[in-house]
Parts: sequence; structure tokens; C-alpha cells
Amino acid sequence: MNVKREDHGEAVLFVVEGHVDMHTSPELRQQLRSALDRRSSPIVADLGGVPFIDSSGLATLIEALQGIGKYGGKLRLVSLQPSVRNLFRLSNLTSIFDIRESREDALRP
Amino acid sequence: MRTAEPDVVEVHLASHPKLLGLVRALVGEAARLAGFSDEEREPIVLAATEGVTNVIRHGYRGDTTRRIDLRLHAPPGSLQLDIEDDAPFVDPTDIRSRPLDEVRPGGLGVHLMRSTMDAVEYRRNDRGGTTLTLRKRVGNPPLVEPPPAEERR
Repeated sequence: MNVKREDHGEAVLFVVEGHVDMHTSPELRQQLRSALDRRSSPIVADLGGVPFIDSSGLATLIEALQGIGKYGGKLRLVSLQPSVRNLFRLSNLTSIFDIRESREDALRP
Repeated sequence: MRTAEPDVVEVHLASHPKLLGLVRALVGEAARLAGFSDEEREPIVLAATEGVTNVIRHGYRGDTTRRIDLRLHAPPGSLQLDIEDDAPFVDPTDIRSRPLDEVRPGGLGVHLMRSTMDAVEYRRNDRGGTTLTLRKRVGNPPLVEPPPAEERR
């Protein structure tokens, strides 16, 4: 898995590529935490390059969602592949996360 | 002369998370050989990942040097994966998924396995550990799939 970070003013974009599982999710968690520590908002995770996420990856995203909620920020997900979107449905998380179709939309304040 | 069954693959691996990708590749390819479609393989690979992850995280408590045995039986039309550890046996009645309306990290793995596979069974093995068996038949959609949130309102 590879995570690239781009700062867009107050917003921060993470472009994630590869599988997110128990092995790789700690790196994603660390990157998200760095943005949470800076109170960035919105924090956008582009998952277009992620064909696979497991419950460890979901837990990482839920942690970030709860963390950002503490300071009133927003976490948005963008470009979910069908397999990942289906995982969100199976986990009943589709309505919990703010899922957008484009980066431009997700990066708006 | 030694012989082997063409539909059976047995491997043992260390309880290291870096090997999860290898587990996915192995299970995914076995499922393909058994006749599962691309769409059907994704949840099987997910369930296998969740099963092995649970062994590493809960059974072995993150110890990356323990042994996990995998046995795949994938004849045409079905797949069975046995994941065997020698961590202390966990009573299956203590293994449950969390309520889905409770949004918190953790506890989703068991739910995902039960949602995607035809059968998820735990039993005590002859080493005193746990064997988790996952089964799936070709053409059998997930048993439990919650409707989209907007349809439940």
C-alpha cells in the first residue's frame, strides 16, 4: 500500500493505493492521525486505487471519523471501487461516511 | 510414490500480517480454479483475510512468530478453507459480531465472515487450539446482506 499526501489549504488529500489490511492499515492510521493532529478539514481519502479493504482498514477509517468529529471537522471518502463500496454496505457504513464521487467535490470546505 | 489430491492445498505460515496478501492470492486462485466468478471471489478472499487476521490479532495476540495451518479444499463448485491455530480454544458462543448500529472500530471481522460465507464454524482441534472452517458454494449469494441505509428508513 502507498499513501500520498497533498495539502490543499485547510484540506488534506490522501491518495491511497493498494490493499488496506492489518499489515498496511497502521501506515494509513499514522497518516490520518497527522492530519487530525493539525486539525485539518476536510480530510479526504481517495480510495480509487484500493481494490481491497478489510475490517482493519474499516476500523482505521472509523477511528479517523470519530477523531475528526471531536473538533467538528469532516472526513470524506472518494472514488470507492465496487468491491470496497460493497464492503461498506455489508458493514452498514454507507450512511455513516460521507462518500463523494470526485476529488473536487470532496475537497470543498 | 507420494501422491496428492489436485483439489487440496495445505500450507503453514507464520502469524505475520505481511503474509495476508499471500493468503488472499492463494485463496483467490483456488476459488478461481473451483469456478467462482470474479464477483464471487472478492467476499471469499475477504472472509479468508478476516479469519487469519483474527487468529493473529486475538488468538496469538499479535505474536508474529506463531504457526497457522491453512487447508483449502476447492473441487469444482465449492471451496472450504480450514484455518487452524494452537492458541487457547475460544468458545464459539463467545465469538460474536458487534451490533452493526454501534459505530466503533473493531468487531466487524466475524460479521463479515458470516455475511459472506455459507458456513462459518469453529471447533477445538487436536492441538487444543481452534479450527475455523469457512465454506462457500458457487452461485450461492451472501446469506446476509443488509439493505442500503436509505432503503431501511
